[in-house]
Amino acid sequence: MEAMNVKITINGKEHSAKVETRQLLVHFIRESAGLTGTHVGCDTSNCGACTVLLDGKPVKSCTVLSAQANGKEVTTIEGLGSIKGMDKLQKAFIKHDGLQCGFCTPGMIMEAHYLLKKNPNASEEEIRSGIDGNLCRCTGYVGIIEAIKSVQNGADNGKA
Amino acid sequence: MERLERFVRGMGQYVDDIKVEHPLYMAVVRSPYARAKLINVKGGVSAADFDAKLASVGEGAQGRDSNPAAHPIFAKGFVNYVGQPVAAVFDEDRYKAEDQLESVDVDYEPLQPVVSPEAAIDFEPIHEGMKSNIISDRYLGKDFADGAEIVLEDRLENHRIATNAIETRGILADFTEGRLIVHVSTQSVFSIKRGLAGTLGLPEEKIRVIQADTGGGFGLKGGLQPEHVIAAYAAMKYKRPVKWIETRIEHLMAANQGRGAIGKMRLYANNSGKILGIKGTIIVDAGAYAEGLAGFAPGFIAHQLTEQYGIKNGYVRAMSVLTNKAPYGPYRGAGRPEAAFFMERMVDMLADRLGMDDAEIRLLNSTDKPFTSPFGMHIEASKPFMEKALEALDYRKMKKSKAGIGFFVLVPGAAPGEGVRLAVKDKKLHVWLGSNQHGQGHDFFIKKLVKEELGIGENEMVIEVPDTDNIRSGIGTWGSRSAMVGGSALVDAARHIKDEVKRKNGKYSKALLLHGNYDYFEFYKFDGEINSFGANLAVAGIGPVNEVRALEVRAFYDVGRALSKEMVKAQIEGGMIQGAGQFIGEGVIYDENGQLLTASISNAGVMRATKAPKCVVKIIENPSDLPDKAKGLGEAPTIGTPIALIRSLEHISGKRFSTTPVRPEDLI
Ligand code: FES
Ligand code: FES
Repeated sequence: MEAMNVKITINGKEHSAKVETRQLLVHFIRESAGLTGTHVGCDTSNCGACTVLLDGKPVKSCTVLSAQANGKEVTTIEGLGSIKGMDKLQKAFIKHDGLQCGFCTPGMIMEAHYLLKKNPNASEEEIRSGIDGNLCRCTGYVGIIEAIKSVQNGADNGKA
Repeated sequence: MERLERFVRGMGQYVDDIKVEHPLYMAVVRSPYARAKLINVKGGVSAADFDAKLASVGEGAQGRDSNPAAHPIFAKGFVNYVGQPVAAVFDEDRYKAEDQLESVDVDYEPLQPVVSPEAAIDFEPIHEGMKSNIISDRYLGKDFADGAEIVLEDRLENHRIATNAIETRGILADFTEGRLIVHVSTQSVFSIKRGLAGTLGLPEEKIRVIQADTGGGFGLKGGLQPEHVIAAYAAMKYKRPVKWIETRIEHLMAANQGRGAIGKMRLYANNSGKILGIKGTIIVDAGAYAEGLAGFAPGFIAHQLTEQYGIKNGYVRAMSVLTNKAPYGPYRGAGRPEAAFFMERMVDMLADRLGMDDAEIRLLNSTDKPFTSPFGMHIEASKPFMEKALEALDYRKMKKSKAGIGFFVLVPGAAPGEGVRLAVKDKKLHVWLGSNQHGQGHDFFIKKLVKEELGIGENEMVIEVPDTDNIRSGIGTWGSRSAMVGGSALVDAARHIKDEVKRKNGKYSKALLLHGNYDYFEFYKFDGEINSFGANLAVAGIGPVNEVRALEVRAFYDVGRALSKEMVKAQIEGGMIQGAGQFIGEGVIYDENGQLLTASISNAGVMRATKAPKCVVKIIENPSDLPDKAKGLGEAPTIGTPIALIRSLEHISGKRFSTTPVRPEDLI
């Protein structure tokens, strides 16, 4: 298998590794960079558990090769919030029961993060279609949508 | 850090996240045929290296077995479903492990498979040493005379569903210092431990099983399956950690599937709408290998068949039949939704025959005193509940929007009891529960009950990870049991430890407890029946290209006591979406050759956000007799949602539906 050197900036930190050309970005993130918050839930790019931001746009990192992300910037769930605490969307997911088993959560939050940035006043319908590529088997999406709306309305803004 | 905070920050430790030095990744060579003779396997690890069978693939898996239908760890002689493990390969790199699948040569001689359970009844036995494909066949209830003013018949079916937790199955097994150490995505560390001990022939004390963060289970992760054993065997063989993470396609073809039940029902009634009796045959599709649960399932469906009705006569043949498909296993509800579907579909048919209102016919057949059904299920008077439910769900008004309604009884899996350990260490109370959360939020009720019983707040308490080295025994999380039985075990243990503090000190205070030396284990057992009532109302719809829709689902359940109102609501919403999924399109579909047609999680129909209905949740709290006063909950919404939605679709379309999911072609 052919190998190549890849350099990807993840959450502001540069990660370099020699990887096989066929390596998927999700595995670079999880294994080469050791950030396991980004999950794998399928093999057909249907579930969205692997969603990260690539140069600011959400991608399913199981459908992108590490090589394609070479030289680019990636934001993962670990890149939201800080050592001190959670970002407001993360808090809102907890407060509004936006998660149960938590497995879909990192991808869901990354997608929601982008959605709110792009369209701060998204309607419920727009929120639903925004997260349509992210499957959650536990919550029925109710708490997830409430969480996203709460941040949107500023209801949870700035609260500890 | 709190569990939920870890999850939203990406710091969960699901099996695949656990880092170990130099793991081997495992990939499984699987049968491409639904039924074939296995002529030769060359390469990899296979039955030639390790020849054993699972005694049970369901909840509470146990040991070796000579049952001809028991699941072989590696196929031997024959393969009997697409996806059956034939061999395994290992590599230090997960991609190369996949590559290695190619290196294994397998010769098959295809045989004619049997896919439909009804056809399988008279088909040649798929396993040597069996006289037929029927693995259980019982008559329940008592035969009665056929005469009645009205006799209605239908063949009802719930197609199979893949459990499809977003985290697939996974295990990390290691063998160090003579012990097998297992981290696993599971609903029950003790099922895995007992199952591994039995299958590998190891003494139980040589095995330690620790629950990794578990990304949903929905029934599948309650028991031991062949891949777990293969990984454990390989860890022992290679003396290094072995990791297996199931791919979604493996999950769809080879993981146990739920539902898959047919009910050929005959309902007897008089012209007033009073139901006199029910007869029929229930056939569960056991899949290719079966023990325990698959044999038990059809009888369990029959047990609760009469639901909330005071139906005096019942006589059912309950059969479980082998087919060339992935093995049967529990899927959230596990028999309960099937029973409600069979009954409520017949009640609706009777309402249509008589031109009666859906609620009116149900009230007419409710009971105003406690009732024991002809199949032995005990219920309290259902009429008061039904009346309250119709009010709370706003039935009269919603009827105008063509809403459907459905009533059911939730029979929880209370009986085996549950273990709990409370121990004081470093001035904190450590709590181990025998049940294993994987999305239900046990933390909430643990904190609440410990606070109530012992006055200990969350900062003085540590909720420990289920680990068979740290708690003597336990059962697991399924069958709507954890809050009621696990919670009651906890209350009982807390009371015991409180008494101990009093005995030693003459009084109780939390300071006395937290500064003392206490370590208490209890196995709480409850043998009674705590069945509870539920009702759902729902509005379906038909989309522009004839697709079936679920627009709104309402719930009204008796939860005994809501230990956390938010968690109760969230559990119900999640379950209603699964129930709606069963109605609008979830299914595992095989062609007549036993080839899987649903090869992605989307094809299998897992509900997306844009398709999810609006949810309205209402509860009542009639406390149970248990120490924590709770009743079962988790499976209720998967029982009540499909029956209400399908009825609504009938009102909208004017057609009769007998199967879930309802497909666009059924509407034509
Ligand atoms: S892992 Fe499912 S979409 Fe990427
Ligand atoms: S919280 Fe379990 S899949 Fe979304």
